[in-house]
Amino acid sequence: MNTVDFLNLLVSAFLLAGVYAAMSVGMTIIYGVMKIVNLAHAGFLMLGAYFVFELYSRFHIDPLVGVLLAFPAFYFIGIALHWLMIRRIPKSDQPTLSSLLLLFGLWLVLQNLGYLIWGNSDRAILTPRTFSTLQFGPIIFPTVRLVVFGAAVFSLGALEFVLHRTWFGRAVRVLMQNSDAGRIVGVNVDRTARIAFGVGIAFAGTAGGMLAMMYSFTPDFGGSFLLRAFVIIVLGGLESFSGVAIGAVILAVVETFSILVIPSGYQPAIAFSLLVVALVVLPDGVAGLWNKRQRWT
Amino acid sequence: MEQEAAVDMTEAASSSRSLPPFLRSMGPAVLLLIVLALLPLAGLGPNNIRLLFVTLVWITASVAWNILGGFAGQVSFGFAVFYGLGAYTTAISYNAGMDRFFAILLGALVALLASLLVGLPTFRLKGPYFAIATIGVSEAVRVVMTNLEITGGASGYRIMEQGPFNQHLHYYIALSLAALAVATSMLVRYSKFGLALLSIREDEEAASDLGVNPFRSKLMAHALGAALTGAAGGAFVGYAAFIHPQGVFGFDISVAILLMPIIGGVGTVWGPVIGAVVYGLVHEELIASFPEFHLLLYGLLLILIILFEPGGVMGLVENSFRFVRARSSVGSHS
Repeated sequence: MNTVDFLNLLVSAFLLAGVYAAMSVGMTIIYGVMKIVNLAHAGFLMLGAYFVFELYSRFHIDPLVGVLLAFPAFYFIGIALHWLMIRRIPKSDQPTLSSLLLLFGLWLVLQNLGYLIWGNSDRAILTPRTFSTLQFGPIIFPTVRLVVFGAAVFSLGALEFVLHRTWFGRAVRVLMQNSDAGRIVGVNVDRTARIAFGVGIAFAGTAGGMLAMMYSFTPDFGGSFLLRAFVIIVLGGLESFSGVAIGAVILAVVETFSILVIPSGYQPAIAFSLLVVALVVLPDGVAGLWNKRQRWT
Repeated sequence: MEQEAAVDMTEAASSSRSLPPFLRSMGPAVLLLIVLALLPLAGLGPNNIRLLFVTLVWITASVAWNILGGFAGQVSFGFAVFYGLGAYTTAISYNAGMDRFFAILLGALVALLASLLVGLPTFRLKGPYFAIATIGVSEAVRVVMTNLEITGGASGYRIMEQGPFNQHLHYYIALSLAALAVATSMLVRYSKFGLALLSIREDEEAASDLGVNPFRSKLMAHALGAALTGAAGGAFVGYAAFIHPQGVFGFDISVAILLMPIIGGVGTVWGPVIGAVVYGLVHEELIASFPEFHLLLYGLLLILIILFEPGGVMGLVENSFRFVRARSSVGSHS
């Protein structure tokens, strides 16, 4: 492999990492605040994809605008679901049997509603952007990847701003570290959890829309990305936003370069192997490694 | 759930005085077993026997899931892996000329080894890692099996029956397996090991403070569940004669195996059996009438049970008894 090929792969890996981070950050925020593993994440990724698709094919709304619209739409879906279901199950500082099963049930419902509405044929969002490419010296990549990367980085930046500059963001970070202490200093836990769930679902829908610009999709679309999101947040240490970014880069690089040696049929097995390696070697994620280093010095 | 654990403790304490609860619940179980053993001789049609056979296989898997999910509280979304591995191993070794019994045993053993592969890295850690890993492993194994050449890949694998097909033989294999599973579940439930599992479910930290080794207990419960599920897969393949990855490793197998104990009553001995019977009877009808959205209905059912009656059928029965008793006692006071 020569340098140009290597650079090409590296650039496409980093462009992929942006979307991967946006796709996983919604799970992190929900897990961090509520200690609930959002298994229905896959369902919302899929719904986000079809949301943007329908807006484009029916109303000719540009997918980028569609992704922007997906955020508030899925935010309100998330709030409604929290009111309808999530607040009714027992709270715990550990993922419970009931929360896992409830969200798994929700995933089944969403996925099969998808089959019911859209059938199982492949859909794709094709805009003039889809087929154009950009060239920087010897490096060539599809424009749509750069656009999606930009959107992902923008959304992550906005989240970072909210987390560090607003009271809601402070409340989220307090609850992630210690929910009892948060309650003592006057954080409204229920309200914060509700909004955090809404934001988590909103990120899932938005990321689904972004992925739909890059890949074709069926109602089963979310499943393989759910596994990838798991790998990323486990690599990141489950509750760390900077960990998500690092995890996304690791997975994207491994996946992109593994194409060279491993047949594409085995791709989902790669994500899983990385998950096992992460669990054995770095149970607290990359961020945990960082914390340990800090403690030593 | 915490209240339930307290009740369990007193139950265990009182058991030393009277008959052990294990033996007390044996009576109806033995009676049921005798009835089921006599049924084929009573001139039941082949189609009904087939339905019973499938239900018995489901009972085995459902009870097996409950040992880990119900008693120890560790949700697995990947029991289809063990079911499928058991089925494939049994099929391959049977075709290689191995005795049927040992082929099923080998299937159980392979499933057990696979369970260690998932359990060893995840059970050491607290948190949702196990549940997450099970989703990953079922996805990964299905992919590998679909691409694997030796087993025919996606097009499936055929088992060559030696001698004429004997439906009753398969029925009795499944029956003894289901009986074994229920007996194991009872033994676990009323043993010290079972109490350790329950304490892990309620509070893992408190359990390890009391001298329970959560890692080893969870690993053992997982291995037990996996071996029984693998044997169930092995029993099934002998009857089905043909398997393919989407069938035995399929996502809906995993869904079914976890749904049954939830329907019946998770964490009880008889709940998973009831759940499997309900599922076995309803499933084929549902598949026939709503092939498109039976999974949608299962998802809805799961949500409704968790929100309104987390105890499943067993919880529903218990609550209605309590309701009736409360009403009658109110009546006597007034």
